[in-house]
Amino acid sequence: MNDVEKLSDEEIVEVVRSRDQELYAVIIDRYQNKLLRYAKNLLKDDSKAVDVVQEAFIKAFINLQSFDVRMKFSSWIYRIAHNEAMNVIAKYKYELPIPEGVDFESEEDLVETFSKEETREKVNKCLLQMPMLYSEPLSLFFLEDKSYEEISDILRIPIGTVGTRINRAKILMKKLCQTNQK
Amino acid sequence: MSNESKIMIKEKIISQIQSGDVKMKPKYYFVLGSLALACGIIGLTILSVFLVSVVAFSLRTHGPMVVFRFEQLLATFPFGVVVVAIVCVGFGAWLLKKYDFSYKKNFQLLIVGFIVSVLFAGWLINYTGLDSVWTRMGPMKEFYKRYDGGAMNGPHSRIMQVRNYRRN
Repeated sequence: MNDVEKLSDEEIVEVVRSRDQELYAVIIDRYQNKLLRYAKNLLKDDSKAVDVVQEAFIKAFINLQSFDVRMKFSSWIYRIAHNEAMNVIAKYKYELPIPEGVDFESEEDLVETFSKEETREKVNKCLLQMPMLYSEPLSLFFLEDKSYEEISDILRIPIGTVGTRINRAKILMKKLCQTNQK
Repeated sequence: MSNESKIMIKEKIISQIQSGDVKMKPKYYFVLGSLALACGIIGLTILSVFLVSVVAFSLRTHGPMVVFRFEQLLATFPFGVVVVAIVCVGFGAWLLKKYDFSYKKNFQLLIVGFIVSVLFAGWLINYTGLDSVWTRMGPMKEFYKRYDGGAMNGPHSRIMQVRNYRRN
């Protein structure tokens, strides 16, 4: 089992596909907490998040032969979870409204004021109040530690758009969190 | 989130895999899917180019006096072909979006490039006179004849021949 732990996700996928399907349990162990947190941030509902993650793992297994091992498995599984969550959102049609009176014109460099470690806690709280368009890339960036390129692969949007959304999300987050603190 | 529900996810999925309720789709399924997608895009591109060339052919064969023969043009103009061409281009663009690489590129530019290429290829067929060859031979002979305005064979043919001669 220790040898398995040393293998990369992509190497485990290769073994699951060719020899041992039960090794898929290792993949589940590695990703279920991360995906549950991600799905919960999107859906704001624990039980639906569990359903989404379970469905994502099943779909990933069914379509495992379509995964290109030269790519990152983590982006692929997050993409599947994203699609599942979007299906649930479309089904129940719930989404937080975009707060009124919020503009994105600020040129202020927020990278300085919002370093990753300091804001992790804040992000978690503020995400619940943000529209999904911004909360999703922000949660992937701050909470899941994904790079812009990985977020682009997960959300299927250009890297430039990822940057724009994260910057706008930071401004929005600042405004929302400050409002809450007052 | 309770640890119980987390453990349940793993157990549920693994038991479904063991029982065979959840099965991996074979590799050829995805290879065939990719092939079908590629064939769909290539086929739609060829069809779109062909349909654009038919429209250009119809306009050309109505000759230089097209304004005076507007009713005839309306009567024989391939409106249906135009609609099918637009649907084909739209479907081709949708298929392009299905490809994984599309979000990494400027998709609008990709679509504009696709449409311009189709229109250019259709125009090229018309410009080189390939469509005129197809009215005389080949499997689409009858199809082209349906949209032939007659200017190439009738009283306007001499004018068209002189125009083509000057153009070349």
